[in-house]
Amino acid sequence: MLIPHPLLGLRDAQEFTYLGDARLIERPTSGDEADLAEYVFQRDNPAGLHRELWFHEQGDRSWLVVTRNTLTHEILGAELARDVALARKEGTA
Amino acid sequence: MTRLQGGLIDRSRTLAFTFDGKRYQGHPGDTLASALLANGVRLVGRSFKYHRPRGIVAAGSEEPNALVTLREGARAEPNTRATVAELYDGLVARSQNHVGPLNFDLLAVNDLLSPFFAAGFYYKTFMWPRAFWEKLYEPAIRRAAGLGELSELSDPDAYDRGYLHADLLVIGAGPAGLMAALAAGRAGARVILADEDFRLGGRLLAESDRIDGAPAMEWVDTVRAELESLPNVRILPRTVVFGVYDHGIFGAVERVSDHLATPGGAVRQTLWRITAKRAILAAGATERHIPFADNDRPGVMLAGAMRAYANRWATAPGTAAPVAIFTNNDDGHRTASDLIARGVPVAAVIDARAGAQAQGEYRLMAGAQVVGTKGRLGLHSVSVETPAGRETLSVGALGVAGGWNPNVHLASHHRGRPVWDADKLAFVPGAGGPEGLIAAGACAGQGSTAEALADGLRAAGEALAQLGLSAPTVPLPQAGTRQDNVAPIWHVPGKRRAWVDFQNDVTVKDIALAHKENMRPVEHLKRWTTLGMATDQGKTANVTALAVMAELTGKSIPETGTTIFRPPYTGVSLGVLGGGDTGAHFRPRRLTPTHHWAKENGATFVEVGPWMRAQYFTRPGETHWRQSVDREVLAVRAGVGLCDVTTLGKVDVQGTDAGVFLDRLYANAMASLKVGMVRYGLMLREDGIAYDDGTCARLAEDHYVVTTTTANAGPVYRNMEFARQCLWPELDVQLISTTDAWAQIAVAGPKSRDLLTRLVDDFDLSNEVFPFMACAPLTICGGLRARLFRISFSGELAYELAVPARYGHALMARLMEAGADLGATPYGTEALGVLRIEKGHAAGAELNGQTTGQMLGLGRMVSKKKDAIGNVMSRREGLAAETRILVGLQPVDASAVVVPGSHLFEQGAPRNLDHDQGWITSACHSPHVGSSIGLGFLRNGAERMGEVITAANPLQGSEVALRVVPSHFVDPEGGRLRD
Amino acid sequence: MTDLSPLCALGAPAPRRVSLGALTLAETPDCGLASLALRRDTPPPSLALPEPGRWQETDGVTAFWTGPGQWLVEMPGCAEVDAAARLAERAPGASVTEQTDGWVLVEITSTAGAAPVERFLERAVNLDLTRFAPGHATRSTVEHLGVYLLRRAEDRLGIWGMRSAAESLWHTLETIAGRLE
Repeated sequence: MLIPHPLLGLRDAQEFTYLGDARLIERPTSGDEADLAEYVFQRDNPAGLHRELWFHEQGDRSWLVVTRNTLTHEILGAELARDVALARKEGTA
Repeated sequence: MTRLQGGLIDRSRTLAFTFDGKRYQGHPGDTLASALLANGVRLVGRSFKYHRPRGIVAAGSEEPNALVTLREGARAEPNTRATVAELYDGLVARSQNHVGPLNFDLLAVNDLLSPFFAAGFYYKTFMWPRAFWEKLYEPAIRRAAGLGELSELSDPDAYDRGYLHADLLVIGAGPAGLMAALAAGRAGARVILADEDFRLGGRLLAESDRIDGAPAMEWVDTVRAELESLPNVRILPRTVVFGVYDHGIFGAVERVSDHLATPGGAVRQTLWRITAKRAILAAGATERHIPFADNDRPGVMLAGAMRAYANRWATAPGTAAPVAIFTNNDDGHRTASDLIARGVPVAAVIDARAGAQAQGEYRLMAGAQVVGTKGRLGLHSVSVETPAGRETLSVGALGVAGGWNPNVHLASHHRGRPVWDADKLAFVPGAGGPEGLIAAGACAGQGSTAEALADGLRAAGEALAQLGLSAPTVPLPQAGTRQDNVAPIWHVPGKRRAWVDFQNDVTVKDIALAHKENMRPVEHLKRWTTLGMATDQGKTANVTALAVMAELTGKSIPETGTTIFRPPYTGVSLGVLGGGDTGAHFRPRRLTPTHHWAKENGATFVEVGPWMRAQYFTRPGETHWRQSVDREVLAVRAGVGLCDVTTLGKVDVQGTDAGVFLDRLYANAMASLKVGMVRYGLMLREDGIAYDDGTCARLAEDHYVVTTTTANAGPVYRNMEFARQCLWPELDVQLISTTDAWAQIAVAGPKSRDLLTRLVDDFDLSNEVFPFMACAPLTICGGLRARLFRISFSGELAYELAVPARYGHALMARLMEAGADLGATPYGTEALGVLRIEKGHAAGAELNGQTTGQMLGLGRMVSKKKDAIGNVMSRREGLAAETRILVGLQPVDASAVVVPGSHLFEQGAPRNLDHDQGWITSACHSPHVGSSIGLGFLRNGAERMGEVITAANPLQGSEVALRVVPSHFVDPEGGRLRD
Repeated sequence: MTDLSPLCALGAPAPRRVSLGALTLAETPDCGLASLALRRDTPPPSLALPEPGRWQETDGVTAFWTGPGQWLVEMPGCAEVDAAARLAERAPGASVTEQTDGWVLVEITSTAGAAPVERFLERAVNLDLTRFAPGHATRSTVEHLGVYLLRRAEDRLGIWGMRSAAESLWHTLETIAGRLE
């Protein structure tokens, strides 16, 4: 697979480590155990578009949020996870 | 000899080869198969199940029968298709799958027992008595399975891999592929043209076609010359594109020196990973046969192959006798015409279509079918059922023409299902194939030369448009068009066995049996009968098989459907997939800065992930590792030991928010750490489980160095970057790994301060100025930059000294030299382990992904006052209810051995899960205690000091009585550390 | 000056060098290396910081992009001094870390122009060479080893690999270059 790195262009997926659901960015700060348990253990498993985290371990060490179709492997885009995380924090600020 | 005139062989050179010990001759341009046929050899192997005599069926990689073992000794390669093995001088090949000589195989008795070996027989047999399976049936089946045999010697050849990038990959260099490559090449696109054959031309190599009024090969040579002259075109002959992967990635194997007697200095094969923006599949088509009674005799072959042997390789099909053709379409007649033109006598064309017309000067038997053959070791007659009655023809070969199947395989590597074309009676690539892959030519159903040329040009135009390049004007060469007019006559019904899949010995009767047993969907048919599952993947059999099943079920072929295909298209050797390196170089190794010093000083090494670490150092006179390890452990506790601990991960953390960041990463507080101090830290997973421990040193207000265990260096770094980028991007913190940059040596033991005093430049090491858990940058040995950390893994007074890695070797030598009178002793990972177990220090075995801070006895380190990864979940009910806690374990009988992995029970309790009280994580022989000791997790361990429990090891049937003791076997007060 | 003697990454006092066909591989131990990461308020440093995928030289030091806000800086001849301190002088307020001995530098030069270098890269790393012209720098893997690659010129390549894996890296580079002869 090729990952369209937002800064570096198309890169071989073998340069990356895969983590999973990009919702892992949304770590609850409430301190509430139920919120944390939901965050740690519950995942959607869509047959179709999935936003997910990839780490460019053998590249620039950026975490990326990649939008991939789990049925066809088509990759629709990738963003720096940092930008996604900052935008989210600004949204809820 | 059955050699003919002409052909694409070089008669100026003669090549000698051996088959089954007999010597023959051929020419450059021959394959092993064509050379055998030219020498009148028709019998080349024995079939898989029934051991029936078999001959060459095809002329390409679709060959099902002619599988030989090529070469000898360590380079012997079983199951090589003689039809693609390029002939070279000195080639040695042997037939396979027979006991006794090829023409008198003792296992041919299987053929007589064939009723017991019908499809699926192994689902119904070998079941009783049950005891016989392991001792008798399975070993027997294993011996009988397979065709060729491995040499079981190490492969002496080298393999290579490479990476290519292109705008357009053209798969196949026949008329369609050559036109496409030419158009794209002239347009300036970066083109890769790959073909599995050793010569470009595809089907044109085998045909007597004319292009622009001249022999087709002249056009091929002209195009090849132009392509070779274009710097943007790369031609890969002898290269199979075996798989289509995501996003335009293709796998291909180039047979670099398979065709040479020995590779010399070259590699044998190269694995190419090709990334292409677009691709054109011009993979051609494969002929199918028509099953009839006893259709598998040597001499029965595909009609298209028969004319390939005549046209390209100038050989009659292994016989000087007349040949016949059995066909259901016009293409069979072409074989007759071509053979006659080359002087091969044609007894008749047996055309199953009642309204067939002759297309040359030969006898035509219209509306006729072959219903039998004779000639066990080589065809000598066929029996023909005609409208006028039955007739026998004396022939030495029979060419069977059942129609052509487009090679759709690669087009369905991404789920895309081929579609049935009712006019062509063939499957063509459907929609939903790999993105960016365009089928052209015979594999898209455009098989005649004129059609293929035009279709290649069309496909190139499409690809270039998608690439944003303008298509050049390429005049279309003049060539012939043909219609095959194929009739849906799929097989000849009869009582005797008619073979469909030659390689796996599957007959029409087997398909009928599958139908009877309700294995009717194609996926069940395939797996029940094993049809299409041999090394040829049913290339000549699949479509015929599902046509037969369609007849049986009364469904149409599209309704019956087809199985699709996965990579690889043809077999790929593990050697080429493994790539260049074998043996010691198979995977990268990481060496510590003192590696060579350690080697020179008697170290035995152990693999720790990719690292090589000194395990123990053998002194002269020591013959057992325990002697060395016990000595090293005692030397540390009595004097001073030296151990290279560079492999532990080091992460440099800086920034105005570095402290805040670390506070959230560690279960315990870090922001409060003072400059110049080190703190032991515990990291949790977000689910509350402990996953790594290490130290955190604060070198400045905004500068820390985090250490991790060796094994977790990568994961901890990854998690730290995750936290930095994804969880807290608003924090001002920067990270970088420094594991390799600093050589780090543990200097441990009561004499360690004395030793270091001799090295440091003007630095006060007294307990008051540099207490336990202090750290500082300094210089040593006259100005070398260094860092000193007073931390201890062993429980002794200890330090870790870091210098730039290039000085690690010299530092170790200097420490040994300066500490000679103090008893300075190098120690390895074994002693390191013993020391930390004696101290009760947790390590990887205790942090195994199942344990919590609480269980480790570090519950108080998990802060309740701050938000940190894992802290909330560590307090969840399920974990809070856990009572197992880390304890020490000592055998009641001092000579008994504590075995890690043993489970703990009260004495006398039943040995089952309900009564399981914990398990042993680590154990060693302790010179300090004088016996084996261990650490483990025990329910309510803290309240059970002194109790005697049992450690059970049911795998080896042993039990040991152990006393529960504190985990700190040595210096439990910690006085030595703080000295 | 210290009386301890340093070793090169490949384990010998002197650097290794080999010529295979048109290519020469040279272990280069005297180049200092330090990493530079911009903090939130770091003022622009006195050296050029190139964009993703590039390297750039300023007054004898060469910075190459390694990640968002991060660069590695080559300082030829500075392997035996505190490279991080030197860099910190040119980039005050940045996070600077010593990296010299974390890496081994192998310079690859061709006596026959670009072609041998490109054929070498084809076998070594999965990179589209049309996007790796002189001026480019990238991180990738060579036979499972992470490396930084700098296309210094048509006929020159710099490869930074993990120091601890120097012997494995050298073996791989030598094997690839040897097969091209």
